[in-house]
Amino acid sequence: MKKVVVKICAGTSCFVMGAAQIQALEFTPPEDIADKIELVEVRCMNLCKDTTAKYNRGPFVMVNDELIEEATFEKVVEKIREVLKNQCD
Amino acid sequence: MSESLFIEVSKEQCQKYGEDCFGDTVYTKKIPEERRIISILSDGLGSGVKANILSSMTTRMAMKFVESNMELLRSSEVMMDALPICQIRKISYATFSIVDSELEGKTRIFEMDNPSFIFIRDGKEVKVKSRELSSPKWKERTINVSQITTQPEDRIILISDGVSQAGLGNKLYPLGWQRSGCVDYILKQIRKNPYISAYDLAHGVVREALEKEVEKKAGDDISCVVLYFRKPRKLLVLTGPPFDEDKDKEIAEMVSLYDGKTAICGGTTANIVERELCLKCEIDKTSFDEKIPMASKMEGVDLVTEGILTLTEVYRMLKEGIDKQKDNAAVRLANLLLDSDKIDFVVGTKINIAHQDPNLPMELEIRRNIVKKIFRILQDKYFKEISVRYV
Repeated sequence: MKKVVVKICAGTSCFVMGAAQIQALEFTPPEDIADKIELVEVRCMNLCKDTTAKYNRGPFVMVNDELIEEATFEKVVEKIREVLKNQCD
Repeated sequence: MSESLFIEVSKEQCQKYGEDCFGDTVYTKKIPEERRIISILSDGLGSGVKANILSSMTTRMAMKFVESNMELLRSSEVMMDALPICQIRKISYATFSIVDSELEGKTRIFEMDNPSFIFIRDGKEVKVKSRELSSPKWKERTINVSQITTQPEDRIILISDGVSQAGLGNKLYPLGWQRSGCVDYILKQIRKNPYISAYDLAHGVVREALEKEVEKKAGDDISCVVLYFRKPRKLLVLTGPPFDEDKDKEIAEMVSLYDGKTAICGGTTANIVERELCLKCEIDKTSFDEKIPMASKMEGVDLVTEGILTLTEVYRMLKEGIDKQKDNAAVRLANLLLDSDKIDFVVGTKINIAHQDPNLPMELEIRRNIVKKIFRILQDKYFKEISVRYV
């Protein structure tokens, strides 16, 4: 099965808004998804600047091609499970 | 300092166990217009506040006299006359060692009653002949004057008697660690790492002296000053995108053309260099830390880090000391800065709109401000040669 690619923005504002906690996926991923994801750390994806939203909606995480705004560890894990489920269906 | 020589000066001190302040004082001053560095170590009589006052007065007075090139014997008399007299011992007293390094390598050392300075050249201790002077007024006090023409990779080390007498009373060291024990330790460290910084060596000596003490409690004030003469190590720190995008190429080329080490601090800045120079940049996961974004690796660049958070942490560490247990991006950058002598900052002044969101922590400072704080502390506390260019 193709691994799910997870890109976590490590830019300054994403980092302070919680990307650091999402990076835990790298070291302590939930068992059911541990070998099914490929984590890619990226420097600022510029999503914080190229937005029309008034306030920052970071941290930004891409799960395959889907963008998650105001991402949290739980939100990202949930999305990965959803993508994996869709792949199986 | 000239292009041919740079002096890294560093000190480490540990106060006598149970005291509230240092009885030894170290005072270093750089006089750029005369291309000169003066470093003074003084040990005041006794310990605690009284010793601190005596040694502080001595270093301050000595600095004034030495920098204004006053005649030494006369200066010493004035200093001894000026020091307050101890109620118990009925004498006024503080030792001193003064290293006055000027021009392209001429260094003079004046010493009174401290353990004699240690001069290391080519990995060996070299004995330097000295002249003895004494004033008619204070016959029992003699001053030793030595002169050296320093070369790159020379080191001059000053220690207080807290170092040479460390461990006194300990079964293993009935006579203390002694100056010779300290010299052996220094030579061993230099053999291990011929380019060991003054900072690491001074810290090592004090740490090792403390190890010798009974229960590792300092029996006296322990101080070490290291002057490391070397060819300047250059570092370019590129941080922030330029205000004018047309300058992207120009700043990227600074990195490829620089004749020294290079560091890039900032995601967007790294993106610019990566794009303009067609280099590949990858996150270095070995630098993971919960508080500091990870460093990246880019071919031809010594270090790539995030910007503001890393720089803010670097400033904190330059103020409070480097966390040796960690290996995050900020620790790597702080070590790189301390290991360099001549640091050229190129600061892009474009404001990152995303950082101005009021929901973000207050610590997200404007780049220009944090860089200003960093270069001031590098200049004033670590005696680095700094240049800053805003683009």
